[in-house]
Amino acid sequence: MEERLYDLIFILRPDTPEADIDKVISTLEHAATEKGGKIDSVNKWGRKRMAYRVQKLREGYFVYMVIRSSHGEVVKELERRLKVSDPVIKYLTVRLDEELKRQDKLKRHRERRAARRPRKTVPPAPAMPGAEQPAAPTA
Amino acid sequence: MAEENAQQQSYGGGGGPRSSGPGGGSGGRPGGPAKRGKRNFVRKKKVCRFCVDKADFIDYKKAEILAPFIQERGKILPRRMTGTCARHQRWLTVAIKRAQNIALLPFAAEL
Repeated sequence: MEERLYDLIFILRPDTPEADIDKVISTLEHAATEKGGKIDSVNKWGRKRMAYRVQKLREGYFVYMVIRSSHGEVVKELERRLKVSDPVIKYLTVRLDEELKRQDKLKRHRERRAARRPRKTVPPAPAMPGAEQPAAPTA
Repeated sequence: MAEENAQQQSYGGGGGPRSSGPGGGSGGRPGGPAKRGKRNFVRKKKVCRFCVDKADFIDYKKAEILAPFIQERGKILPRRMTGTCARHQRWLTVAIKRAQNIALLPFAAEL
Protein backbone atom coordinates (compact mmCIF):
# COMPACT_ATOMS: atom_id res chain seq x y z
CA MET A 1 0.00 0.00 0.00
CA GLU A 2 1.22 3.37 -0.78
CA GLU A 3 2.47 5.62 1.93
CA ARG A 4 0.35 8.34 3.41
CA LEU A 5 1.46 11.67 4.71
CA TYR A 6 -0.20 13.40 7.61
CA ASP A 7 0.10 16.72 9.34
CA LEU A 8 -0.46 16.60 13.04
CA ILE A 9 -0.79 19.75 15.10
CA PHE A 10 -1.52 19.71 18.77
CA ILE A 11 -1.81 22.40 21.39
CA LEU A 12 -0.60 22.02 24.94
CA ARG A 13 -1.45 24.08 27.97
CA PRO A 14 0.80 27.13 27.98
CA ASP A 15 2.02 26.41 31.51
CA THR A 16 3.38 22.98 30.59
CA PRO A 17 7.05 22.70 31.55
CA GLU A 18 9.51 22.11 28.73
CA ALA A 19 10.34 18.65 30.03
CA ASP A 20 6.73 17.57 29.81
CA ILE A 21 6.44 18.82 26.26
CA ASP A 22 9.41 16.72 25.26
CA LYS A 23 7.91 13.78 27.07
CA VAL A 24 4.66 14.05 25.15
CA ILE A 25 6.54 14.26 21.87
CA SER A 26 8.75 11.29 22.66
CA THR A 27 5.82 9.12 23.68
CA LEU A 28 4.11 9.98 20.42
CA GLU A 29 7.24 9.12 18.48
CA HIS A 30 7.45 5.86 20.32
CA ALA A 31 3.82 5.02 19.64
CA ALA A 32 4.20 5.86 15.97
CA THR A 33 7.22 3.63 15.41
CA GLU A 34 5.52 0.85 17.33
CA LYS A 35 2.61 0.92 14.91
CA GLY A 36 4.87 1.00 11.88
CA GLY A 37 4.72 4.71 11.16
CA LYS A 38 7.43 7.30 11.13
CA ILE A 39 7.60 10.86 12.33
CA ASP A 40 9.37 12.91 9.71
CA SER A 41 9.75 16.15 11.52
CA VAL A 42 8.77 17.83 14.74
CA ASN A 43 8.46 21.56 14.85
CA LYS A 44 7.69 23.46 18.01
CA TRP A 45 5.91 26.67 17.16
CA GLY A 46 5.96 27.65 20.79
CA ARG A 47 3.48 29.75 22.71
CA LYS A 48 0.93 31.39 20.49
CA ARG A 49 -2.32 33.18 21.02
CA MET A 50 -5.25 31.06 19.99
CA ALA A 51 -8.02 32.56 17.90
CA TYR A 52 -10.60 31.63 20.49
CA ARG A 53 -10.68 30.35 24.03
CA VAL A 54 -10.17 26.64 24.58
CA GLN A 55 -10.78 25.32 28.06
CA LYS A 56 -10.76 28.92 29.23
CA LEU A 57 -7.24 29.41 27.93
CA ARG A 58 -6.28 32.11 25.48
CA GLU A 59 -2.78 30.88 24.72
CA GLY A 60 -1.35 27.53 23.87
CA TYR A 61 1.90 25.82 23.07
CA PHE A 62 1.71 24.62 19.46
CA VAL A 63 3.58 21.59 18.19
CA TYR A 64 3.54 20.60 14.54
CA MET A 65 4.71 17.26 13.19
CA VAL A 66 4.67 15.38 9.90
CA ILE A 67 3.88 11.69 10.00
CA ARG A 68 4.39 9.04 7.39
CA SER A 69 2.61 5.72 7.51
CA SER A 70 1.07 3.16 5.24
CA HIS A 71 -2.18 2.68 7.14
CA GLY A 72 -4.49 4.62 9.40
CA GLU A 73 -3.75 2.69 12.56
CA VAL A 74 -0.92 5.02 13.45
CA VAL A 75 -3.13 8.07 13.38
CA LYS A 76 -5.77 6.30 15.40
CA GLU A 77 -3.29 5.43 18.10
CA LEU A 78 -1.73 8.90 18.15
CA GLU A 79 -5.10 10.57 18.42
CA ARG A 80 -6.10 8.24 21.22
CA ARG A 81 -2.97 9.14 23.12
CA LEU A 82 -3.49 12.84 22.54
CA LYS A 83 -7.03 12.55 23.78
CA VAL A 84 -6.06 10.95 27.08
CA SER A 85 -3.00 13.10 27.58
CA ASP A 86 -3.73 15.80 30.15
CA PRO A 87 -1.67 18.78 28.94
CA VAL A 88 -3.05 18.48 25.40
CA ILE A 89 -6.01 20.78 24.86
CA LYS A 90 -6.52 20.45 21.10
CA TYR A 91 -5.20 18.44 18.18
CA LEU A 92 -5.79 18.12 14.45
CA THR A 93 -4.63 15.55 11.93
CA VAL A 94 -4.83 16.28 8.24
CA ARG A 95 -4.05 13.82 5.50
CA LEU A 96 -1.91 15.57 2.95
CA ASP A 97 -0.61 13.09 0.38
CA GLU A 98 -3.57 13.43 -1.95
CA GLU A 99 -3.32 17.18 -1.98
CA LEU A 100 0.37 16.95 -2.66
CA LYS A 101 -0.36 14.61 -5.53
CA ARG A 102 -2.79 17.13 -6.96
CA GLN A 103 -0.24 19.86 -6.46
CA ASP A 104 2.34 17.85 -8.39
CA LYS A 105 -0.06 17.23 -11.19
CA LEU A 106 -0.89 20.91 -11.52
CA LYS A 107 2.74 21.84 -11.47
CA ARG A 108 3.59 19.37 -14.20
CA HIS A 109 0.66 20.60 -16.23
CA ARG A 110 1.81 24.17 -15.96
CA GLU A 111 5.38 23.32 -16.84
CA ARG A 112 4.22 21.53 -19.95
CA ARG A 113 2.16 24.52 -20.95
CA ALA A 114 4.99 26.89 -20.23
CA ALA A 115 7.29 24.75 -22.36
CA ARG A 116 4.86 24.85 -25.24
CA ARG A 117 3.97 28.51 -25.15
CA PRO A 118 7.34 30.08 -26.07
CA ARG A 119 7.40 28.17 -29.35
CA LYS A 120 4.08 29.66 -30.29
CA THR A 121 4.77 33.25 -29.31
CA VAL A 122 8.40 33.59 -30.32
CA PRO A 123 8.07 33.26 -34.13
CA PRO A 124 5.68 36.21 -34.54
CA ALA A 125 7.85 38.48 -32.44
CA PRO A 126 10.87 38.73 -34.80
CA ALA A 127 8.56 38.92 -37.81
CA MET A 128 6.74 41.90 -36.28
CA PRO A 129 8.70 44.83 -37.77
CA GLY A 130 8.43 43.45 -41.29
CA ALA A 131 4.88 42.26 -41.04
CA GLU A 132 3.56 45.38 -39.45
CA GLN A 133 3.86 47.70 -42.44
CA PRO A 134 2.19 45.52 -45.04
CA ALA A 135 -0.55 44.75 -42.56
CA ALA A 136 -1.38 48.38 -41.87
CA PRO A 137 -2.90 49.33 -45.27
CA THR A 138 -5.14 46.29 -45.35
CA ALA A 139 -6.53 47.20 -41.97
CA MET B 1 -11.70 43.86 2.20
CA ALA B 2 -12.63 43.79 5.82
CA GLU B 3 -11.64 47.40 6.19
CA GLU B 4 -13.78 48.40 3.30
CA ASN B 5 -16.68 46.68 4.91
CA ALA B 6 -16.13 48.49 8.15
CA GLN B 7 -16.02 51.77 6.33
CA GLN B 8 -19.26 51.05 4.63
CA GLN B 9 -20.88 50.29 7.90
CA SER B 10 -19.59 53.44 9.49
CA TYR B 11 -20.90 55.48 6.57
CA GLY B 12 -24.27 53.94 7.02
CA GLY B 13 -24.31 54.67 10.72
CA GLY B 14 -22.59 58.04 10.98
CA GLY B 15 -23.74 59.57 7.74
CA GLY B 16 -27.36 58.68 8.21
CA PRO B 17 -28.84 62.15 8.41
CA ARG B 18 -26.46 63.53 5.80
CA SER B 19 -27.08 61.01 3.05
CA SER B 20 -30.76 60.60 3.64
CA GLY B 21 -31.56 62.03 0.19
CA PRO B 22 -30.00 60.34 -2.82
CA GLY B 23 -27.47 58.17 -1.01
CA GLY B 24 -29.90 55.57 0.26
CA GLY B 25 -31.01 54.31 -3.13
CA SER B 26 -27.62 53.44 -4.54
CA GLY B 27 -27.38 50.35 -2.37
CA GLY B 28 -24.09 51.36 -0.78
CA ARG B 29 -21.89 49.81 -3.44
CA PRO B 30 -18.21 50.39 -2.89
CA GLY B 31 -17.53 50.36 -6.65
CA GLY B 32 -17.51 54.09 -7.07
CA PRO B 33 -19.69 57.18 -7.04
CA ALA B 34 -22.85 56.79 -9.11
CA LYS B 35 -23.14 59.63 -11.58
CA ARG B 36 -26.35 61.45 -12.23
CA GLY B 37 -28.43 60.05 -15.05
CA LYS B 38 -26.51 57.27 -16.68
CA ARG B 39 -24.84 54.99 -14.22
CA ASN B 40 -21.36 54.32 -15.38
CA PHE B 41 -19.40 52.42 -12.84
CA VAL B 42 -15.72 52.15 -13.37
CA ARG B 43 -15.10 48.90 -11.65
CA LYS B 44 -11.63 47.49 -11.58
CA LYS B 45 -11.47 43.86 -12.57
CA LYS B 46 -10.45 41.89 -9.56
CA VAL B 47 -7.87 39.20 -10.07
CA CYS B 48 -7.58 36.05 -8.03
CA ARG B 49 -4.63 36.51 -5.73
CA PHE B 50 -3.80 32.86 -5.71
CA CYS B 51 -3.74 32.69 -9.50
CA VAL B 52 -1.31 35.59 -9.57
CA ASP B 53 0.95 33.73 -7.16
CA LYS B 54 0.36 30.51 -9.11
CA ALA B 55 -0.62 28.71 -5.94
CA ASP B 56 -1.17 24.97 -6.27
CA PHE B 57 -1.93 24.58 -2.63
CA ILE B 58 -3.30 26.84 0.05
CA ASP B 59 -1.66 26.14 3.36
CA TYR B 60 -4.04 26.09 6.30
CA LYS B 61 -1.11 26.60 8.66
CA LYS B 62 -0.43 30.12 7.42
CA ALA B 63 -3.15 32.03 9.14
CA GLU B 64 -1.76 35.37 7.96
CA ILE B 65 -2.45 34.39 4.35
CA LEU B 66 -6.01 33.35 5.12
CA ALA B 67 -6.83 36.26 7.40
CA PRO B 68 -7.66 38.78 4.61
CA PHE B 69 -10.39 36.43 3.38
CA ILE B 70 -12.50 36.49 6.50
CA GLN B 71 -14.62 39.24 7.94
CA GLU B 72 -14.03 40.65 11.38
CA ARG B 73 -16.87 38.50 12.62
CA GLY B 74 -15.12 35.41 11.31
CA LYS B 75 -17.21 34.78 8.21
CA ILE B 76 -15.54 33.70 5.00
CA LEU B 77 -15.74 36.44 2.40
CA PRO B 78 -17.59 35.55 -0.80
CA ARG B 79 -15.86 35.36 -4.14
CA ARG B 80 -17.59 38.47 -5.42
CA MET B 81 -15.85 40.51 -2.74
CA THR B 82 -12.37 39.15 -3.04
CA GLY B 83 -12.19 38.23 -6.72
CA THR B 84 -10.85 34.77 -5.97
CA CYS B 85 -11.44 32.27 -8.76
CA ALA B 86 -13.77 29.33 -8.19
CA ARG B 87 -11.08 26.73 -7.82
CA HIS B 88 -9.01 28.72 -5.37
CA GLN B 89 -12.05 29.74 -3.37
CA ARG B 90 -12.85 26.06 -2.98
CA TRP B 91 -9.39 25.36 -1.65
CA LEU B 92 -9.48 28.48 0.45
CA THR B 93 -12.66 27.46 2.27
CA VAL B 94 -11.15 24.11 3.15
CA ALA B 95 -7.98 25.78 4.39
CA ILE B 96 -9.90 28.32 6.47
CA LYS B 97 -12.04 25.62 8.04
CA ARG B 98 -8.99 23.61 8.97
CA ALA B 99 -7.34 26.64 10.47
CA GLN B 100 -10.47 27.29 12.50
CA ASN B 101 -10.36 23.80 13.91
CA ILE B 102 -6.90 24.23 15.29
CA ALA B 103 -7.58 27.69 16.69
CA LEU B 104 -5.48 29.58 14.17
CA LEU B 105 -8.54 31.45 12.96
CA PRO B 106 -11.71 32.27 14.86
CA PHE B 107 -15.07 30.67 14.15
CA ALA B 108 -16.69 33.85 15.34
CA ALA B 109 -15.27 36.99 16.83
CA GLU B 110 -15.21 37.08 20.59
CA LEU B 111 -16.77 39.92 22.46
